[in-house]
Amino acid sequence: MLEVINQSNDPYFNLALEEYAVKNLPDSENYFILWQNRPAVIIGRNQNTLEEINHDYIKEMEITVARRMSGGGAVYHDYGNLNFTFVVAENNDFANFAKFTRPVINALGRLGIAAENNGRNDITIAGKKFSGNAQFKHKNRLMHHGTILFASNFEEMVEALNPSAEKISSKGIKSVRSRVTNISEHLVQPISIEEFKQILTEEVFREEKNNASYQLGEQDLQAVNELRDKKYATWDWIYGNSPAYNVRNKAAFPWGSLDIRLEVKRGTISGCRIFGDYFASRDIAELENALTGIKHREDDISKCLDHIDLGTFLPQAEKQDFIELICR
Amino acid sequence: MNINENLLYTVEHEWISVEGNKGRIGISDYAQHHLGDIVYVELPEIEGSAAMGESIGVIESVKAVASMYSPVGGTVLEVNEELESAPELLNEDCYENWVAVIEISDPSEVDMLLDAKAYAAFCATLD
Repeated sequence: MLEVINQSNDPYFNLALEEYAVKNLPDSENYFILWQNRPAVIIGRNQNTLEEINHDYIKEMEITVARRMSGGGAVYHDYGNLNFTFVVAENNDFANFAKFTRPVINALGRLGIAAENNGRNDITIAGKKFSGNAQFKHKNRLMHHGTILFASNFEEMVEALNPSAEKISSKGIKSVRSRVTNISEHLVQPISIEEFKQILTEEVFREEKNNASYQLGEQDLQAVNELRDKKYATWDWIYGNSPAYNVRNKAAFPWGSLDIRLEVKRGTISGCRIFGDYFASRDIAELENALTGIKHREDDISKCLDHIDLGTFLPQAEKQDFIELICR
Repeated sequence: MNINENLLYTVEHEWISVEGNKGRIGISDYAQHHLGDIVYVELPEIEGSAAMGESIGVIESVKAVASMYSPVGGTVLEVNEELESAPELLNEDCYENWVAVIEISDPSEVDMLLDAKAYAAFCATLD
């Protein structure tokens, strides 16, 4: 087992590294990675990002939004959370979660904390979740990763994962809320997250042979950074890769009311209807058509509206109000 | 395990039924059984093309996310949109519920696939 040394706190880099490890690192070896992200919401592979995040809070707190390649629900990461990743040959370990969570449970055992596997994907202490796990299979390789809540800020977690857009619906995977706990709450003798990382690595290595560290080389870093820039850091992956969704939003203004309905596929508006109670001077279908084919993103909609005299469709409507109605 | 006699298979557990230059593709019983309850199918893109063995779609189950690979090279003509709202159909009947229809670009690739007997022998080596 090689421990890939990764000190990056950039969620996009770290997720790209996982994909690179499972697809490109020599499959003659198995790998283990411990890593931490700066504050971030990590969306599941097939979730609709807008249904999972608190847009305003995330913007205000400068929390990064990223999408991972494994499935399941949205999670919040910060410096109090530790992530672990295994990349191994798929020798029928597919869906064998216990094999990968055992070192975590053993590490806690050494600290006098009783933890157990719960359901398929969680590890719990006294019935409360502190670790969520997921797998990604690529050909004959398997990636298993999990979160470990060590000393996370739960107030920020709850706020960041409290979606503001109930007006959006899709067939995407919905997150399930769990009662959570931090490992730090159960420690008799306080230890740092760095010390815990050391103990966990020892427990991983104790079950494996030919253990060593692996430093990412220039070529590795270049390939990971390229994947980061071309995929993980892009709007197309983070938002555009969401399952098809519908938006229905209504608002009342001093000049009348509007009811907007959108269909969004692969991040792009594929259908748009605007209903309302206002004085129209021009056929609203022209505006609906202009918005169709535009990315469902504030900047793109704003640019689209730059070429349109909004006042001829909706007299007295403010451009910014209209954009927010579409995007929030 | 259920293996449909009339289909061809890959070692990645996809099946294909070939009619002329078109192939209807799906996942095998082994695949759906090992994945467990399927909760989402990311369908291939219509008009998208893929080489033999290249990823064309993604299946998410309660256990894992796994890629679906194109059994032969081709261009996607049709996708089974029913799977968008009912991904569990792949668990219920994985041979009836296909994923996509592709136009096969090189018919000679079909000869490289496993018939039902060879696929059964391959699966027997796995468990």
